[in-house]
Amino acid sequence: MITNKTIWPWHLLTVTILFMLCAGLWVATKKIDYTWRWNRVPQYFLYNDETMVSIPFDGRVTSISDLGDSSQIKVISEQGEEKIYTVNSDAIQVNVDEDLFQGDYLGATFEWRAGPLLVGLWTTLWLSAVASVFGMIIGLVTGLCRVSNNPTLRGLSITYIELIRGTPLLVQIFIFYFFLGTVLDISRIVAGISALAIFAGAYVAEIIRAGIQSIPKGQMEAARSLGMTVPQAMVYIILPQAFKRTLPPLAGQFISLIKDSSLVSIIAITDLTKSGREVITSTFATFEIWFVVAFLYLMLTSVLSQFVAWVERRLAISD
Amino acid sequence: MIKTVDLKKTFVGRDQIVHAVDGVTAHIAPSEVVVIIGPSGSGKSTYLRCLNGLETLTSGQIVIDGVDLTAKKTDLSLVRREVGMVFQQFNLFPHKTVLQNIVLAQQVVRKRKDAEAEEKGRMLLQKVGISEKENEYPIRLSGGQQQRVAIARALAMDPKIMLFDEPTSALDPEMVGEVLEVMKQLAREGMTMVVVTHEMGFAREVADRVLFMDQGKLVEEGTPEHFFTAPQEERTKVFLRQVL
Repeated sequence: MITNKTIWPWHLLTVTILFMLCAGLWVATKKIDYTWRWNRVPQYFLYNDETMVSIPFDGRVTSISDLGDSSQIKVISEQGEEKIYTVNSDAIQVNVDEDLFQGDYLGATFEWRAGPLLVGLWTTLWLSAVASVFGMIIGLVTGLCRVSNNPTLRGLSITYIELIRGTPLLVQIFIFYFFLGTVLDISRIVAGISALAIFAGAYVAEIIRAGIQSIPKGQMEAARSLGMTVPQAMVYIILPQAFKRTLPPLAGQFISLIKDSSLVSIIAITDLTKSGREVITSTFATFEIWFVVAFLYLMLTSVLSQFVAWVERRLAISD
Repeated sequence: MIKTVDLKKTFVGRDQIVHAVDGVTAHIAPSEVVVIIGPSGSGKSTYLRCLNGLETLTSGQIVIDGVDLTAKKTDLSLVRREVGMVFQQFNLFPHKTVLQNIVLAQQVVRKRKDAEAEEKGRMLLQKVGISEKENEYPIRLSGGQQQRVAIARALAMDPKIMLFDEPTSALDPEMVGEVLEVMKQLAREGMTMVVVTHEMGFAREVADRVLFMDQGKLVEEGTPEHFFTAPQEERTKVFLRQVL
C-alpha cells in the first residue's frame, strides 16, 4: 500500500477550531461590561520621562544656544558664578536676560525609560537565569552523589531530593523567606533565588541520575580499561553522553523554572507577575495586563526551547 | 607476566551463589598468546575481566608485571594503562570520532601532546587498515571496523598485555576475518595476549597455549596440538566434539 495522505485539510480544521474558540471567547466578553483599553498597555513598557531642570540660585539667563534637539542655557548668579544647563529645545521655559529666583524651572529634559512590565520581565529573566545556573550545579553534584557508591552521599542526596520533591514550591519559598531569611539574615532576592535553585536542583538531580544510568556499563568499563580514573571517565565519557540524552528533560525543567519564578512575587520580589499586578492596580486593565504577562512568559520560554532545539541539532551529528 | 593464584570470584544473587571463577591458577609468560575456550557460563570472561580489575576478586591473587592487583595500595588505574582490553561489544565512545576515540586516553591518561597523540592514532589506524575513516563517528562504521578501532584504541596506550573478550562474537561472519587478521599480526609482533574466543581456528593457528574452562574451573591446558588432537579430560572431549 502506498501512503499518500494529504494533510492540509487537517491543518485547515485545526485553524478553524482555534479561530472558533477565539471567536467564542470574544463573543462571551462582549456580553459582560468590560471596556478594553489596550492603548494603556504600551506606556508600561516604555515611557518618555520628563525631568524638570531648575536654577540652584537667584540669577539671570545670559544666553541660550540652540543645538538642534537640545539647547544650552547659560545662567549667572548674583555673585557672578556661571553655570550651563542642557534642556530639550521644545521645553524651554525662560528667555535671555530673564531674572530668576532659586528653584525656578529653566526647562525640561526627556528620556525614554523602561516601564514596570519591562523591568519585571528583566527581573524574571535574570532571576531565572541565576537560579538555573545554581540549580544545574546543585543538580549535577546531587545526581553524581545519587549514583555514587558511598552510602552517606547516596543517603544525603536521596533525603534532599525526597524533601524537596515532596513539598510545594510556594511553601518552600515561604520557609526560605520567613525562616531562613530571618535566621541567616538573607535578603528576599537571595531567598527567592535559593528556593528556586534548590527546588530545580532536586529535579535536575533525578534527570542527571537517569541520564548517567542510561549510558551502557561498557562505556565506563572501556574508559577504565584505558587507565582513566572514575572522575576522568565521568567528565570525558559518561557526562557528555548523558548530557545529550537528558537535554530534552533538562530543557523542560528550566522552562518550568521560568514559570515557577512567578511564585517569588509572593515575597515581594518585583518580577513580571508582581509588576503586572502593580500595573493593574493603577490601570484597572486587568484582562489586558494578564494576557500581556502571559505572552511575555511565553516569549521567554519559547526562546529557551528554540535554543535547546538548536543545541540538540548540533549534538545530533554523532547519531 | 601474568600470574593468578587460586582466583575465586563469586556472584551472590537473590537466592543463589554463583562461583563464576572457582580457583584458577595460571601463569602467562611474556609474548605468550593464550587462548581461553569453554562453554558459555564457564567463567572465562569473568576471569579475563578480573585480570584488569573490572571485577573485584572474592579471593586469590593476581600479579601483573610484578604488581599485585590484590594489594590494597595498588592503584588499579596505573595497572590498567599497561593492560589493553578489547570488548565483545566494542564499546567505542559514540560521541567521539574514530581518531578522537584513539587520542583521548593518550591525552588524558598518558598526558601526551595533541600532535604526538594524533600521529600515534593515525599510525595505528593505518596499521588496522581504516585510516580513511578517522573523522567518522563510530555509528557509521561496520562491526568489524569498529572492533579494529577498539583494538587501535587499546594499542595507543602502549600496553604490555592485551586482553580480548570474545572480540568476534558480535560480528557478522564476513567481518570476523579482518579482526582476526589484526590479532594475528599483533601476536606475530610478540604482544602478550589473552584471548577468550569461540574461534577454534584462531586458537589452533595462533595460540601458544590453550586453556579450557568449565564451571569456573580450569579443566585442561596445553599446546594447540595436544589440545585439539589428544585431549585428556572427558569434559574437554565432549566440548570439542560439539564445536568442531
